[in-house]
Parts: sequence; C-alpha cells; structure tokens
Amino acid sequence: MLNVLFVTIAAATPLLLASMGGFLSERGGVINIGLEGLMLVSACVTALVSVHWGPYGGLTAGLVSAVLLSLIHWLMTQVYRIDHVISGMAINALAAGGTNFMLGEFSDPSRAGSFPHLPVSWFKVAAFGVPAVLWLFVHYTRAGLRLVATGSDPDKARLAGLSPVRIRLMALIGTGVLAGLAGSMLSSDTGGFTDNMTAGRGYIALAALILGGWRPLPTLGACLAFGFFSALWVQFQGQVVFGVQPPSQLWASLPYLATVVALAGFLGRNRTPAGLGKH
Amino acid sequence: MSFAVRLTGISKAFGAVQALQDVTLEVAPHTIHALVGENGAGKTTLMRILYGVLQQDAGAIEVGGKLLRLRSSAEANAAGVGMVSQHYGIISELTCLENLILGAEDRAFLKREALMKRAQELASKMNFRFEWDAPASTLSPAATQKLEILKLLWRRSRIMILDEPTAMLGPADADALFVSLGALVQEGATVVLVTHRLPEVMSYCSRVTVLRGGRRIGDMAVSDTSPAELAKLIVGENADALGEELGHPAKPARAVGEPVLQVRNLTVRDQLGHASLDSVSLEVRAGEIVGVAGVDGNGQRELLQAILGTSPAATGEIRLNGEEVSSLAVRERIQKGLRVIPEDRHAEGAIESWSLEENAALGLHPLAPLAKGGLIDRNERQKLSQRVVDRFGTKHGGLSLSLASLSGGNQQRLVAGRAFELSPKLLVAFQPARGLDLGGTASVYQVMRQYCDEGMGALVISFDLDEILLHCDRVVVLNGGHLDEPSREESKSRDAIGRLMVGVG
Amino acid sequence: MRLRLAALVLGAALLLLGAFFSAHVSPIEAVTTLMRGSLGTPSAIGGTLRETTPLLIAGLAVYLALRAGLFNIGVEGQLLVGALASSLVALKIHGIAGVLIGIVAAMLAGALWSWPAGLIRAYRNGHEVITTIMLNNVALLMTTYLVAGPFKAPGTEEPSTALLGPGDSLGAIWSSGNLQVNVGLALAVFVAAAVAFWLKRTVPGYELQAVGAGPGAARFAGIDPKRTIVRAMLASGAIAGFAGAVQVFAYEHRFYEGFSPGYGFDALGVALLAGNNPLGIVPAALLFGILAKGGTALQIDGVPKGITTVVLGLLILVAAGIRFREVRAVA
Repeated sequence: MLNVLFVTIAAATPLLLASMGGFLSERGGVINIGLEGLMLVSACVTALVSVHWGPYGGLTAGLVSAVLLSLIHWLMTQVYRIDHVISGMAINALAAGGTNFMLGEFSDPSRAGSFPHLPVSWFKVAAFGVPAVLWLFVHYTRAGLRLVATGSDPDKARLAGLSPVRIRLMALIGTGVLAGLAGSMLSSDTGGFTDNMTAGRGYIALAALILGGWRPLPTLGACLAFGFFSALWVQFQGQVVFGVQPPSQLWASLPYLATVVALAGFLGRNRTPAGLGKH
Repeated sequence: MSFAVRLTGISKAFGAVQALQDVTLEVAPHTIHALVGENGAGKTTLMRILYGVLQQDAGAIEVGGKLLRLRSSAEANAAGVGMVSQHYGIISELTCLENLILGAEDRAFLKREALMKRAQELASKMNFRFEWDAPASTLSPAATQKLEILKLLWRRSRIMILDEPTAMLGPADADALFVSLGALVQEGATVVLVTHRLPEVMSYCSRVTVLRGGRRIGDMAVSDTSPAELAKLIVGENADALGEELGHPAKPARAVGEPVLQVRNLTVRDQLGHASLDSVSLEVRAGEIVGVAGVDGNGQRELLQAILGTSPAATGEIRLNGEEVSSLAVRERIQKGLRVIPEDRHAEGAIESWSLEENAALGLHPLAPLAKGGLIDRNERQKLSQRVVDRFGTKHGGLSLSLASLSGGNQQRLVAGRAFELSPKLLVAFQPARGLDLGGTASVYQVMRQYCDEGMGALVISFDLDEILLHCDRVVVLNGGHLDEPSREESKSRDAIGRLMVGVG
Repeated sequence: MRLRLAALVLGAALLLLGAFFSAHVSPIEAVTTLMRGSLGTPSAIGGTLRETTPLLIAGLAVYLALRAGLFNIGVEGQLLVGALASSLVALKIHGIAGVLIGIVAAMLAGALWSWPAGLIRAYRNGHEVITTIMLNNVALLMTTYLVAGPFKAPGTEEPSTALLGPGDSLGAIWSSGNLQVNVGLALAVFVAAAVAFWLKRTVPGYELQAVGAGPGAARFAGIDPKRTIVRAMLASGAIAGFAGAVQVFAYEHRFYEGFSPGYGFDALGVALLAGNNPLGIVPAALLFGILAKGGTALQIDGVPKGITTVVLGLLILVAAGIRFREVRAVA
C-alpha cells in the first residue's frame, strides 16, 4: 500500500508541475495545448546535456529549451494572433519531431540511459509547494492580479492601462519554466529519454487543470488522482485480480480512461477564464 | 484663459474613413463640459485619443497647459486623465476591490486589509457603499457606474471622461450620478461628458461642444443655447423633421386585427432560481407595433429569448397566431412566421466571417424556396440576399464578400432587412435601429409600419424611450421582470412612463 | 504587416536549415533526395499516391470537424479501431460483401470512438482535444492488445491478424508498368467531392458550418449547436474509420501493431493547410504524401524521420499566420 502511495506521488509530480505551468498560461487567457511539447523537449534536452555538463547543466538547458518553445507559442498567439489550439498543436509537432531528431545525437544510446541524476526527491517535495505559491501569487501580488484580469477580459485590462501582450509574455515564460521542470523530472526519474516519453502527460495535466476549475489547490487533487491510476498500473500489472489477469494494456489505459470519465462527469460548473483564447 | 484640457486640430482616419477632421476642444477647469453628436459623429474617437487608447494623425493634446504625447492609457492616467467607457471597464470575475485597484496598485505585494481601508475611506467620501470582497458580477448597473467613478478617484484623475454614463441607468440613478459629479467638480475635478441626452446637457453642464461627421459644428455656453438649437446642430439638415417628431404627435387610432402573439403568465428563472421574468402577460395584434420600454437588465433579453424559444427555463403560454408554440423548437417558430432582430449583431444576429449571401439566409435557410429536400437552392438564395441588402440600402462591395467587410451600420441594415423576408407574421425587434443614423432608423420603422399595415404584428424592445414613443402604437413597461401597461392617459406622459420604468408608480 | 509575414517564413526556413545541418545533411541534397524518392520513378510515384490515400481521407475527417469548430485530434484512434474492425469482418466474410460490410463496420467503429468526445464537448464543455487524445491512447493500447492476443494470426510471432484472402480487397483502378493506382485513391477523391458538395449545397452542411463560425448566431437561427456538435463528431469519426478500412482493403490486407505511423496527426496538418476550401485537401494531402514518401528516402540517407514532423509543425504555423492576414485584410 505504501508503495502505491510513493508511486502515486512520483507519477503526480510531473503532472502537477505541468498543470501549474498551464495555470499561469490559461489564467492569463492563453490556451496551452503545447504543455506536452514543452515537457517532451525539456526531458530530451535535460538527458542530452546532463551527460556532458552534469545534472544542473542539464536541468538549466532543459528549462531554457522549454522556455524558448513557450516563447514561440507567445509569438504565434500574441503577435501573429493565430488560433491558440492550432499553435499548441504545432508546438507539439515541433517538439515530437525535434526530439526524435535529437535522439540520433545520443552518441552512445546506452549512456543516454545513465546520465547523472538530479536529487529528484527534493524536487518532488518542492513541487508540492508550487500550488500554494501560485495561490498566494494570484491573491496577494500585483502581478497575479494583473494576470487574472488579463485572462478574464483582455480588452478591459487594456483599458485599465495593462498590456496583455507583455503580461502573457511573462506568464508564458513561467509556463516554460514549470513545464520544463516537469520534463526534467520525467527523464531524471526514469534515468533516460525515450521517443515520445511524455506519452500524453501534458494533456492529462491540462485535464487536471480543467477538472480543478483553474484553481491551484483542487488541481493538485486532480493530479494526485491521475497519479493514483498510474500507480495502479505499476502495482498491479501482471497480477491476478478477482481471479483474472487483466492485460497490461488495460492498466496502462486507466489514466487515459479516468481523464475521459472525469471530464464526462464534470458537471457544467463553468469556471473557465472568460478571456481564454481572446486577444 | 487657461484650460484644463485643450485639444487642437485633431484629425484621425480609419482606413478610408475620416473619423475626425481638425477638431478643437477646449475645456475650462472645474466644469462639466458636454460633448454631443449623433452616433458616428466622432465623440468616442476623440475621447479615446485624449485617453491615449488611440493616437491622432494630426493635432495636439494639452492637459493643464502641458503639451503631451499619449501613447497608452497608462500614460494618460499618469497625466491625470481617466475615462469611464460606455460599456464599463469593470471585470466581472474580479472582486470590487480588485477592480478598484487594477492597474493602479501601489506596490508589488497587495496588503488587502490596508487597501480595503483606503477604499472604504474613498467610498464614504462619496457616500457610496460596497461589499469589497464580493465579485463585481453581483453589481447593479448603477453600482458599477459608482465603482467606475471611484476608480477615477483612486487614480487621482483630475480630468474625468464619461462616455454615455447614463445609457444604462434609470432616471433616479442618473440624477444621483450628476449630484456626485457636481460634488467632484466642487473639489477640483474637470468632467468631460459624452452624451446624446440634451436634458442632461441643459441641466448639469456649463459648456457644450457639438460634433457632426467628425467636425466641430458648434461650441457655446449652455446658457446661450436651447435644446432646439442643439438638436438642429446635431442632426444638420434633418433638423426640421426631427423637431416635429420630438413632440410625440397623437397617433391615429389604427385598425388592429387578430392577435399574432399572446403571452400568458410567462416566467423565466435564472440559474439561481430568481425570476428574471415574473408571470408576464402580453398581446400583440396584427397591424400594431407594441413597444417594450424599460431600463437595461429588467427582463428584456429573457422576453425575447422566451418568445424565440432559446431559453429552456421558460414556463407559461406563448401563442403565435393562436397556436401554442411553447413546446416548439426555434426552427418551427421561425417556420410559423416569427422573425427576430436580436440585440447583439455579432453574437446573435450574424456570422462575421461568412459572406453576405450566407448571412442573408441565416435562420430562413431551411424554408422554401431557399431549401428543397435538404438541398440549398443557390439561385433563390442569391435573389433573396439581393432583396435583403437592397431593402435598407446596405452598402457593400459584393454579396460574396464577408460580413466583416461592412461597417457596423451596414451590418445592422442587413440583419434588419433579413427579418422582413419570407412573409413574417410577428417581428420581435431588439433595438432594431442600433447604430443607424436618423434616415436609416426612419426607413426601418417605415418598412415595419408597412408590413404591419399588411397584417404583421411587431414587438419592439428598446432602452430609448423616445424611440418607442415616436414609433410605437402602444407602450408596455418592463421593470424587475414585471410587465406593466400604462393607462391611456399615462401613455402620453414621458414622465409617467419613466416612473413606471423604475417602479415608482 | 508583410514584413512580419516574411519574418515568419524566414524564421521557419532557418529552423529547418538548422535541423538539416545538425543532421549533417546539406539542404539541397536533402530536397533532391526527397523529390527523387517521392516522384523520381513510377514506383516512387505509386508509393506517394499510396501515402496520399489515408492522408486524404483522414484529412477530410479532420476538416469536417474543423468546420464545426472542433479539433478532432482523435482521427488517429478512430482510424485504428476502424481498420481493426474492417479486417476482422473481412477475415470472417469473404468477397465483395466482406469488403462492403467491413467498410460499414469500420465507419461504425470510428463513429463510436469519436462519440464520447462529441458528447463531452457538447454537454459538459470538456475540450475535445483532451478527450480525443486520451481516446487515441486507449485505442492504441486496445488494438495492440487485441492483435497481440485474441486476434493474433496463428503460427506467427508478430502481433498481427492473418492476411486477408486474395479476393477480399480493393484492386488497381489503373496500372501501367510499375505505377499502380488503387481503387482506394479513387474512393478518397470521391469522398472529398462528396464532402465538398455536402458542405456547400445542403442544409445540414450549412448548419454545421454555422455552428463552427458563430454558435450564438446559429442558436438564434434555430440550429441546435449541441446536437450539431455531436453529429459532426460522429461524421468525422466515421470518415476516419473509413480511412482505416480503405488502408486495410487497398494496401495492408491485415491489421498489425504499429498500423498507423501517425496518419491522424498528419491529417491535422493536411486539414489546416487546406484552409476554407474542402477541395484544397487534395493538393494538401498530396504534399504530405510527397513528404512522407520522400521522408523514407531521407531516412535511408541518415536523416531521422522526425524531420517530417518538424516540417508539419512549421507548415501549420506558417499557414495559420498567412490565413490570419487574409482575414484581417478584408476587415
């Protein structure tokens, strides 16, 4: 049972960091389907660079790469003003293709699996403090207030003398850092990078944010719930349950199915930031 | 003489449209200065330039004797200029306190207790009361207006621009607003009031500037002019016709026919169970235009949606031509001759990215002859759209261009023109002349009258009492979800109807 | 404005050049290899057309949903369940009847797989991008389990169904030497024409697009946005399932693990590139077919296959950037 708890927390950590990254972006009114891509790029770059420059060099490089990708999202949605979902999908394509490309750069594929590690457990502890910090940020800082105002109504925020484009720039840098951190955790935790290793976690993180009503603390709860379903996979795959041995694919499907079921049961309590996707 | 604000030679063009041409505005300190003109005369554009939201093509801005180049509203704020725009800047998701301080927070970390204390002090100076932690969505239009004024005070604005501040207020709240403004002027503020209500100008302002077609037509002390003269300046050559109409001539008794709309005990509840329409009963007969007067937010939208069939929470009886329709879908009601001119052109009336032709058929598209067996007859649709744009003279560059290529007024002409197609029996029109000039407004009501003479019935919902008194045969009043019909005597008195609108019988 | 657009195109080109250089391939050489590998020989052209077929049909599935304002990222999963369903049917029922029933089964399976996403979007306001991607993962895991377990062909190690019989497939509609054009491609072009006609000339097509372009105005015009959204999603899923069936009957003749190399995702690029014109899907699908076929040639030259995904992402961004300018120019 204790094992399930540990695995739950381990699985929830990257989700939590990514969904908090999504929080910054979406509370500022920018739909962010691209969390998946940010995580993926950061996971890959962290693994690649750690081999040469040690764990912190790897982490830094991972974060920078995610921030750069996040800035592309800012550029396309705020300067070129294209649809946020389209831009997010393109970000994910760039990330999926780009990391596949970089995979060839792992000079020694076997070493890609054994790069110097971060002290992951400390990062996990810190990750669980992020929702509280963001709650305080939104309620007790000028920047937080301005972020929420922009996400609620960019036109009126502009009328109040704010610059939504600049506020969203800051928010998306924050998104890059947090989602990048999530990616770094992922490759550090497993000790290597594999093609498409995020496997939809960015989307699950976004679902957690939606289920949490775009509020940090309920989102934490949703992430733990998704983490729990992943833990079941690790715990029970290959075992006999109720007299049958379910296929491992069934366990693997659980987090995905849980997301769909949770969204289906999410009774229209609409807390969506009103300015989401607006310029 | 020194001016609080001095705009000289301001010009501004949007593409090919010259919105402002060499406009000068001089505002004396500690006064309420009125800026009047028709829709599209350039009032709001001029004020947005003063507030830094738009930048002028030519001309100079002086505030307190200092020449300024304003590149953003933040810079205008810093120079002491504040603006309350027509549709308010209050963000409903934030609390009242957050709205008050937004953009003018004094430090990076917010000390809520201290901020609330300061907000409270400011409010009590104006005799206002607020629940500072309540979301702004709970505010009434009048309270929203008060919060807007507090926002100006919080920013220490010396120059206050108010764009149509009474458009959404009842008469009592409007009077209270001017009392507050008077107090502010006493304390040293200067107010620029954009309005189209001449009584406000005559009672509360000291000077008035008139704009027409982007030019300054007149500028005089209020004591030197009269409403008639101002009206003449505002509308130009149409003035004589207007002057006649403003006198509410007694309408000839019209022969009315069978009822086309019968509403009995219609109740609509919002999500909280509060009745936004409370057992409303109403009848419209063939041949008559019935006007629904009232202050914004008293059940007008709910009434239109219930008749159309888009609000699921409506109970009661609705009959079209004697036939009960309350269980029918929108499409079937349209089929039975119901036509609607919705309030919000963009969100409800038309699709901006679509062509004029596609928009002209919207709502009518499943009806013969536009559709046959589920297939669209392009030929018929083209003929229809030609009729629709011709009816009110929509200026356009081709029927296949997108609606977004039209100006707001021309979009409204198309939406209004569509409502008279394919034999309408009942027209429900929400401010049908929104954004139209006097000529356009007249022709919309003229066509409406003509169709009514041929057997249609019309229900016009408007916040503009004068428009209703001018064009409708009968007036009913919505207040707090209740519908009152004034007596014949009361119907003739603008004041009596005004009292019903705010619930003081 | 034109400057900004030039900057966008230049930025995309630089990114691509950087990718080539980091793979130690000269861009000119890469483009030559790509073109020769996709259009250089009759068999290369045949291969390109083969790649084009599923992209065209799947692209139509994405496009139809897009017109209703929906991002159906789930075409990948819908295509997979459709392909599996059709191959299972054709293993039991032989001849032309098997092909026809297989296609119907595939369309039903695809529609079934898209249904929850439509319902959740319409009645729960849950974004379809998330639900469809989740359902993609479930479809991939489920089909993998089924072909590795219950439906694995007897006597093989590979997770795959048995091969269909020789009469249980779609043949060539035209062939000359090494160049063969399958009936599947003709079907794909036919579906493109049918979708174009349906959207432009029928009342339901008009209503679907009204919901996509202006849901509020559609409601006032007597169109039920919720019901339309569910129907659009079902239709999109059915077309995606059809794409899977055509792939099975025209080219693959079985279902196996890794059946789709990501047709559903490329289809998204095809649909976004096509813009407002449904017939624009045909050239867009052909372009992606060239990229896919030529990409294989590049891979042999040592360029990772990720390059085509990068190109896809850049094309989406540039196309969307250009399209926005067009819209603004009219206003």
